[in-house]
Amino acid sequence: MLNYGFMQNAFFVSIFISILCPCIGIFLVLRRYSMIGDTLSHASLAGVALGLLTNQNPILGAFVFTSLCGALIEFLRTYFKKYTDLILTIVLALGVGTAITIISSGKLHANADSFLFGSVLTVTQFDMIMVVVLSAISVLTLIFFYHQMLYLAYDEEAAKIAGVRVKLINYIFSILVASAISVSIRIVGVLVLGSMIALPVATALQLRKGFRKTLIFSILFSVIDIMIGLFASFYLNVAPGGFTALVSVTVLVIVMLSRKIYLDSRNRREEKFTAIK
Amino acid sequence: MVAAENLRFSYTGSSPYVLDGINLFIKKGEYVSVIGENGCGKSTLMRLILGFLKPVSGKIESHAVRIGYVPQKNEFNNSGFPITVYEMLDSYRHLLKLSDKSIPAKSMEMVGMSRFSGSLMGELSGGQTQKILIARALIGEPDLLILDEPSTGVDIGSQKEIYGFLKKLNREKQVTIFSVEHNLEAAIANSTIIYHLVNGKGHLCFPQQYAEEYLRSNKII
Repeated sequence: MLNYGFMQNAFFVSIFISILCPCIGIFLVLRRYSMIGDTLSHASLAGVALGLLTNQNPILGAFVFTSLCGALIEFLRTYFKKYTDLILTIVLALGVGTAITIISSGKLHANADSFLFGSVLTVTQFDMIMVVVLSAISVLTLIFFYHQMLYLAYDEEAAKIAGVRVKLINYIFSILVASAISVSIRIVGVLVLGSMIALPVATALQLRKGFRKTLIFSILFSVIDIMIGLFASFYLNVAPGGFTALVSVTVLVIVMLSRKIYLDSRNRREEKFTAIK
Repeated sequence: MVAAENLRFSYTGSSPYVLDGINLFIKKGEYVSVIGENGCGKSTLMRLILGFLKPVSGKIESHAVRIGYVPQKNEFNNSGFPITVYEMLDSYRHLLKLSDKSIPAKSMEMVGMSRFSGSLMGELSGGQTQKILIARALIGEPDLLILDEPSTGVDIGSQKEIYGFLKKLNREKQVTIFSVEHNLEAAIANSTIIYHLVNGKGHLCFPQQYAEEYLRSNKII
């Protein structure tokens, strides 16, 4: 299967997706912002459409438009302090409205459908360069701001007292989310991208570990989900995005059940031990 | 250390004011307990000192080089967050740009919590969480320590330990303490001065003096 050039490209990009998405996703999930990932991934379709319309690389288009939408979410937070979910509705309307208008105008010279469901066939050499560059910059930025981002997610007030520039970090984080979405959009597709950001983290959270270990397990589950999704979708001849999302849900359910079984058996052992004593 | 002059604050930006004409001067090395009924503005005053809120009029300023803050345990409801005690303290050290890697271990030792280094924050009891929050606030040796109801949700044994520790910190290391209190007994026993807030206005008094006022107004003596 990896003899095919297009599968090699898809495999290469998938490795970057599986590392970058949970690195961003863990902060989104822990800040209760999972829906921002979903909103921005849907909004990225407008960036793709704008990229295709202006004969620019659609991934670059997605990155620029999604970054702007991320910044818009941060900006609107000050206006809609008590209705933060309304901000997502506004940005979603802007993004999806733009995308549908451009796509339905018939002025696109390429097919935007593959970005909806994800495709292994459409990864180009230029896409791969974009993915490497965006991923490298994102991971380096994350390493640099690791402690600031961790504290903004855990205890924003303590972060403020320690001198963290909350607004600046939030804007940087919006760009990182945009980057993760742009990197993943080719393979995973717009519709299920939000789940790829959140589900491996949700699975790792079941293990009840510290932050660093949860992050490592998130990456591990993400690699498992995306690789199984990629290879299985090749043999089943289905879109990789949808199947990867199904694998992610399955892995989450397996881990949840395994944990429950483990805890039940441990409790039974402890009860027996107490009875013998 | 902290000075407030004709301070007025309301959440709407206009009358009625939560704090109305507050004048407060806290000297270095004081242990001030702020007391008053629910909704009298104790926590609002604390949040103004921390800079989380801006006054409607008047001014409030802190001359502390470094502030340590211990949030109210009940409001610090982030028990599902996957973070160990060590990670929480070590990341805070990074935020303060302190290079000494032994700081988290020393902080845990200071509050007698060394054996919980690898425990998840969400698995600690109320008293243990409060001790770790105090340990975090002491990273970087602050000259002003601000606490929001340190005994809320904490068992009696841990309360004694926490107040004993705070008193020692104040008397021996001259750390200025500003504590929002609902625990009158602890406020009277540990503070050097009490700030009593009633209807948005406050006055300073000595603990003994407040205790007598309290007993008289409740017709206990």
